[in-house]
Formats: sequence, structure tokens, C-alpha cells
Amino acid sequence: MFNNYVLIAWRQILKNKLYAAINIAGLVVGLAVYIFGSLLVNYERSHDMFYDNSGRIFTAGSVFSASANIGVSETVGIYTAIAPFVISDIEEVEQVARTVHREFLISIEDDHYYEKIKFTDPALLKIFNLDYIEGDESALENPLGILLTQSVATKFFGETAALGRTLTLDHDVTLSVTAVVRDLPANTHFSSTILGGGGFKVVAPLAALNRASDYDLAGNFNNLSGGDFTYMLLPATRSREWLQAQMDGVYESHFPEDTREFITGFKVRPLVEANTILWDAIGMPVLDSVRVLALLVLVVAIVNYTNLATAQSLGRAREVGLRKTMGASRGQLLIQFLVESLCITTISMLIALAVLETAVPLFNSFVDRALTIDYLVTLPWLFLTTIAVGLIAGAYPAYLITRASPIEAIREGGTRGAKGNFFRSMMLGLQFSISIFMLAMVMIVYFQNEKIEDAANIYPKSQIISLQRLEIESIQARLPTLRNELKNLAAVEQVAYSSQLPYLQNNSSFGAGRVNGDKSGAFNLTEIFIDEHFIDTYNIPILLGRNLTTAIGNDTVVKGVLDANVIVNEMALSKLGFNSPGEALNQVFYDFPDEREPRTYKIVGVTHDQNFMGFHNSIKPTVFLMMPENLNYASIRVRGADLAQTLTEVEQVWNEIIPDYPMQSEFLDETFADVFAIYGAMTQVLGGFAFVALMLSLIGLFGLAAFMAESRTREIGIRKVMGASINQIVRMLIWRFSQPVMWALLIALPGAYFASSAYLNFFADRLQAPVGIVLGAGVMSVVLAWVIVALHAVKIASANPIQALRYE
Amino acid sequence: MLKLHDLSKIYRTDEVETVALDTVNIEIEAGEFVAIMGPSGCGKSTLLNIIGMLDSPTSGAYLFLDEDVSGYSESQLSNIRKHNIGFIFQSFNLIDELTVAENIELALLYHNIPASERKSRVATIMDKVGIAHRAKHMPSQLSGGQQQRVAVARAVVGNQGLILADEPTGNLDSAHGQEVMEMLQGLNDEGTTIVMVTHSPAHSDYARRTINLFDGHVVTENLRATG
Repeated sequence: MFNNYVLIAWRQILKNKLYAAINIAGLVVGLAVYIFGSLLVNYERSHDMFYDNSGRIFTAGSVFSASANIGVSETVGIYTAIAPFVISDIEEVEQVARTVHREFLISIEDDHYYEKIKFTDPALLKIFNLDYIEGDESALENPLGILLTQSVATKFFGETAALGRTLTLDHDVTLSVTAVVRDLPANTHFSSTILGGGGFKVVAPLAALNRASDYDLAGNFNNLSGGDFTYMLLPATRSREWLQAQMDGVYESHFPEDTREFITGFKVRPLVEANTILWDAIGMPVLDSVRVLALLVLVVAIVNYTNLATAQSLGRAREVGLRKTMGASRGQLLIQFLVESLCITTISMLIALAVLETAVPLFNSFVDRALTIDYLVTLPWLFLTTIAVGLIAGAYPAYLITRASPIEAIREGGTRGAKGNFFRSMMLGLQFSISIFMLAMVMIVYFQNEKIEDAANIYPKSQIISLQRLEIESIQARLPTLRNELKNLAAVEQVAYSSQLPYLQNNSSFGAGRVNGDKSGAFNLTEIFIDEHFIDTYNIPILLGRNLTTAIGNDTVVKGVLDANVIVNEMALSKLGFNSPGEALNQVFYDFPDEREPRTYKIVGVTHDQNFMGFHNSIKPTVFLMMPENLNYASIRVRGADLAQTLTEVEQVWNEIIPDYPMQSEFLDETFADVFAIYGAMTQVLGGFAFVALMLSLIGLFGLAAFMAESRTREIGIRKVMGASINQIVRMLIWRFSQPVMWALLIALPGAYFASSAYLNFFADRLQAPVGIVLGAGVMSVVLAWVIVALHAVKIASANPIQALRYE
Repeated sequence: MLKLHDLSKIYRTDEVETVALDTVNIEIEAGEFVAIMGPSGCGKSTLLNIIGMLDSPTSGAYLFLDEDVSGYSESQLSNIRKHNIGFIFQSFNLIDELTVAENIELALLYHNIPASERKSRVATIMDKVGIAHRAKHMPSQLSGGQQQRVAVARAVVGNQGLILADEPTGNLDSAHGQEVMEMLQGLNDEGTTIVMVTHSPAHSDYARRTINLFDGHVVTENLRATG
């Protein structure tokens, strides 16, 4: 009997190839997107499960107060000074390891490499079990030891054994290799490119950092860098909640009072969450969104199927009537129709898996992931998904078609399509609601990105080559020479040094106020250290006053001298209580340091408010000052188009003047692209989902319109005989099919408006006209729907009415 | 009213050529009641469709109200059709989703007639064919005879001078068939030209003239003595 059902299902598919193809194509896309979305989210959420201690490893992060205004609600780590208190206060914590990443120049004889090094407490190797090729987990107990991954060891030393070989950091500290481990897999937070932390390639004890750059082993309360975790290993009996309570105690007893306003507490997380903290921190539920969007796409595909199958199955009323007359029970017929939809779903699932088998490896190589479809684990889930989709999609058409009495079914063969009209319209409306909603969101994200890119163009980013890592003392001394030589190049227009490049996140600031000693009136003033060429190099307009210059003594901030001339932006002016630049010029304000006398800052120039930093930061009150020892970056503005050639020339100059350090350069365009990548990726992901959903809806509408137009040929014939013109008929059909789309607009547009507002809240500098864009998305969808329907309507309306009317 | 001169209609499929009408010459005067008879497949319906401008001849001339319409475009034909010709079909061809009144109104809908006038004309014609009490009903709630009366009303509500009826009684029992025939007779008495395809000799007796078709040829034309 069951075979018979499958056979009939198969014949139905062959008989209606177009509808079957549309149905299967829709379900393939829906299933593929849904499975892929689920795989991706599960992958991101199941990192770090392979360590022996995974369940017992916890991290602690810092929660920022809302007033901190740094764009994130928390960071992954805690101040390095906390760990000693954890060890002393919480006895049961078995191991604690801090990590601090720094970039160093690593030299092996005459080979030089810039590498990010993860400095840590030796306990790290007790917490995480690694796969040692050489050495063992005691590797970092040697204060001058260093651990390398296999690929780095090969890069440094070739295929020979690395154990015991030496390398130097910044031409200064010599370390010897104490362990080589296999490269970590992609699915650990150590490999995350968005977390920061420098990866897990070169690992050295904090003691080595202490030698290389006077790092205080006791830790500090100054630095929180992205990707620098503090790991704790708990006994199996202790839970996250327990550790949270303990850490709350550490915060209460030891956290500095004056920083509590900025960091309101610690947040303990299990290791498995480490990989996805950032999404929580920036307040964008990206992974949940991916999951929901993937599910929505699947829903659209199911609705597609249901709709077409309902329309199509009514054409089979006669068959159902006959079967009933022959004695088939309703249950048997229900099963027959459900088997059909299960067959189609199964075929679709198999094709979807084939598609994924091709797409997933491409995706992996494209974005550095290691997603796999583990059939052993996912098979039950895939099976259940197939069954569920098949049953849900087939339920309504099966119910509808098997409801009629046999005689009714036979007799009504001619009026197919009339039943279930309302249901189909509702489904079509639902489909379009989802698609229009997604389309509107994509357009919002897209235009917001455009706005960010536009805003970024206030700086001549395509003309700037930046040089990095200039903070090394021996390089600092040679900066003036470097500048002079670079200026001699024909293509170089300007060279400026600064502490900061546009687009990069920077939270360096100090408290400032108008009244000397009155700390209560202070506000956070972001500081950017520049030289006298910086303002010109970046075309920053001076609203009033003058640029800073080395010709005037007080323009340069010197340690021990308590007067400095500075440039501030307008926002800083109003924070200081000035009403206009004119009022502020030559006025002074103060800082409130603990360790020295307050300095007096005189405003000699005022600039416009410009968003110098990351894009989800609001523009901040900013001061530009000249302090030569803080200039880590060079910005070289070049003329002409041949940036690559210019870069080569710049490098030649560098190599002459600073032969002992390789040049680290980046086009400012690339710097921007890096920061922007996360937004760009979001547009692509969201855009992909929306495109798929919209296509599915349009395919569905196409199929449905084809079917309905066909089933209305008689009505159209009558109208034509009555004198309706082709135009009138096309308009009537378009109007009829547009109605569900119009209803969809009513649901989707307000939804999209609210969702987009929530999204835009994330940005300081946000789109002002989301309503227009949302409406635009609606108009686009309606027009597309019209085009699809019109294609059919014209064809049907042009046909000779006789064919429809002659013989019934 | 209309004149067919050497009119032929040939259907061509890939290999087979079927001659549906072969050099037919017919003239119909205004006010006539003509029945077209003949066995199945003789070309009756094709002839009626060509007269109704729903189909076009392969060769020959068709003069409608002294205009040769054989070369006219679809929209020109549609224009002549909607002002002059009403259709009645064997299977009624009412639209299931529209009420009786709306079905009748359909014939006026494409005429640029104001809604109020449409309503009053529909009301008048419904009274005339005795269907007014069913105005708000759907076609499926009516008997066959009632449905055909609605179709007749729809055919004449636009003051069409020519009614083409394709086996109007074919789906009706004899009592209802007679009812419809009497209605057509009444319309003819008021001056409406009627061309009707029928199988029933009894019903062809209502016509003053009978044209017998066989294999696409006009074989006989009988005039019935008025009386």
C-alpha cells in the first residue's frame, strides 16, 4: 500500500513538472538556508568543547557602566591586577591564568618577523591541554621560555627541531623555545579573528614581557584589551553561579573605588561562551538573528509549498471523488497526500544536503571556519526536520482536498481553485510580510553602511599610507629624519605622526574641567596626540584660532611643564561651558591627575566635531595635543594613483633609515575596511537571507499566479465577451493578486520600522530617514509582484475567449 | 444587418487540415430570428463565433452593419461587439463569484456607463426576465432555467441589437427550455435580431428561417411561413 502511495506521488511529480520544480526548488533553498544557519550558529556556540577541562574552565569579564560610552557593554577580560586577589581570596580555584597580547619584532639571526605574542601565567598550560610535539606543559615555567605552534616553528626554523633554539624580541630579550604544539583547530576561541587576543601561535610567560617592556608582574588597573582573557579552572563540584558570587566578593573587596563608576562588576562565563561574548557585548544578537532569519526563510518555503499544493490539489478533486467512490477512506486519502508532500520534502532535503556539501567547504575557506555536517550527530535532526516540514507543508492541502463528499468532488471538478482562496491569500500575505520585512531591514543596513562609508570619507583615506609600531624607542629618535627623507619623495605630499589613526577604537582620555581642583565638574576628554602636520594631512578644518606648531614653546606638551596649548573640538567647548569658539579662544581648562600638579591647557584652536573613531561611538569631546613621545603612527599622504609604487619607495627610505626593524605599513583604506568588515559582513548575511526569502516569495507568487490565472480562464473569457479590453483584464488580475501583498505591507512595514530603529540605535551617527527607506522596500516588493503577475495576466488576457467558453 | 461572403474557416494543426466552414454565403437582415442547425461538427458553433467576432475567418468577407470587419484589430472588434452583440451560451457561463445582479451588470461594466444608470438598467431587465427576487443570489443557488434567464438578461441589458445563442436550451429540461425560447421570441418581437444554434427541431420552429449546415456547407435554407 505504502509503495502505491509513493508511486502515485512520483507520477504526480512527473505529471506536473513545473509545479514540482517550483516546489522542490523552494524547499531546497529553504532547507539549505535553515540547515546552514543552524550549523553556523551551533558551530559558533560550541567552540572549545574539546579541551579535557572544558566544563571546568571559566572566564571573567568586566561590565561597563552605561555612562562609559564606549560602545560595548562588557569586555572579555578583567584587569590583570585582579588575578592575584582571585588566588588569595578564592581557595578552591585550582588554576588562574591571565593573558596579555603584544606585538613584537622576533628575530632569528637575520630573519625578522612581526608576531603577536600571547603572554600568560604558566598555569595556562595546566588549564588547557595541548598536543605537544616537543616539550611539555611546564614550558612556560621558564621565564625566558617560549611556546610555538607547529606552523610558526616551521616558519621560524624550517623542518628541523625547534626545541632549545633561541629568538630575540625587539633586538633585546632572548628567549628559547621550550615547547612546540600542534596548531589549534579553528573551533576554539583562541583562533577567533574578531575577538582579538593575537591568536594562539606564539605564547610566552608574562615574566618575559616583564623583561622586554617592564611589565609589572603584579598586574595593573590600567589596561583592558580585546581578547585578553583571565581563565580560571574550578573543581568539578563548583558552578558558574558559585564563581560569580566569589568574584562579586573580589570586586567588593579589591576593586579601586574611582574606577567603579566605569566598571560596575565582573561577569563570569563558562569557556563555551568565550567565542560569542563579543556579540553580547556590542548588543547585537547576531547569532540569534541568523537563526531566526534562517527559520523565516524555511517558513517562507513551506508556505510556498502549501500554497501551490493547495491550488494544485484542487484540480485533483475528481481523482479524490473517484477514489472515495471506490471505497477509499478519508484517512487513506490524507495519507496519500501527506506521502506526496513527504516525498517532495525528502527529495528537497537530499538536494539541499548535496548543495550544502558543496557550499560549506567554500564557506569554510572563504571565512576561515571549520563547519562540517556531522551526519552521525545530525541525522536524527535532519530526519525530524524532513518529516516536520513535509507534514506541516502538506497538512492543509491534504485536509482541504479530502474534505469534500465524493459526488461533490466529482461534480466540482470544473470549479477548481475557488476553494481555499482565502487561505492562499493569507499565506501569500504571510510570505510577503516576511520578505518585505527582510528587504526593508537589508535596505536599512545597507544605507546605514553607506552613511558610515560616507562619513569616513571626511578623511582622504585613499591617499594615506600609514606606518605602524613607531613607539619603539630607537625608532622614535629617527622619526624626524624619516619624515625629511619621505618628504623628498615626489609622490609624498605630507607626513604626520600621531598616537592614533582615524577609524581605530581608542579610549584614551582624561578628566578635564574649567575650575582648577574641582574634580566634581570634570568630564572625560578624549586625547589624541599629534604633531604639527597632522591637522593638514587629514584636512581637519580649524574653525577658529590656529594649528599647533613647534615654533611656539607651549604648543608642545613637555613632562614637568604645566602649561600647554591645545586644539579642542566644538563638543569639548560646550562641555567646558563655552557658548562659541570665539568665547573659548585663549581660555584655559585643567586636568586632575593624582600623581602630579594639574596642568593648564590653553585653547588656541577649535575644530569641527568629527567622528574620529569607530562608527558605533558617538562623537566625543576631543583634545588634540602635541606630545612627541606618544606618536606611534605615521600618516603619509601621497598624490597620484600608483600607491603600490609609492609604497615601494617609502619602504626603500624606511630600510635606509631604520634597517633594524621591518616596516609595518597599511593603506588607510585597509584600516577602514578592517573596522568596517563586521558591518559589511552583516549586510551580506542579511542581504543573502532577504534575497532568498524574496525570491522564494516571488517564485511562489509566480506559480500561484500561473495557476490561478489558468483556473480563471473561463471568467476572463466571459469578461472579454462582455467587452473587457486586455488592459482592463490585466489590471483586474493585478489588483486581485496585489491585495495579499498590500496586507503584507501593513504588517511588514511597521515591523520593519521598529526593528530598524532598534538596529540604528546601535549607531551614534544614524540614518535620519528610515521611514522613507522602509516604504521604498514596500514599493519595490509591490512592483516586483506586479511584474510577476502581469506576465501571466497579459498572456491569459490575450488568449481567445472561445477556448475557455466553448466546451465545458 | 450582416453579410457573409465566400467565408471559409480552416483549422490547421501540424499535419491535419480541417475545413470547418467552406465558402459560406449568408445574409441576415435586422429583426430576423435565424436558427442554425446541423449535426455535431458541421461548423455551427464556428459560424456563430465568427458572426460574434470571437473568431476570425481564414478567407472571405464579413460585413457587419455594412462595414467589412474582416481586417479589424482585436480592440476594434471588441468595441463593435460590446455595443451590438449579446451572447447566450449552453452552459450559461455566469461568473460563480458574482451575484445575479453583478453578473448582469458585467455587460455594462465595460461601457463607461455611470453606476447609478447601470443599477437602474439592471433592475429593469431583471424585472423583465422575472429574476428580480433573486438579485442577491449566487448563480450556484439558482436552477438551470433561472441561470439561463440571467444570461439572457445579461445579453440584452446593453441594448444589443443582435443576440447570438449557442444551444441556449441544451442544458435545460423541456419546460425551462420552452421558457427561454419564449423569452427569445419576445425579444425578437421587440426588434432584436437573434441567431441561434440548436439541435432541437422544436426550438428551431421559433425561428423564421433555418439554415442547415453540413460539413461546412450551407445545404438548405428554409423559410417558415409567418403565422
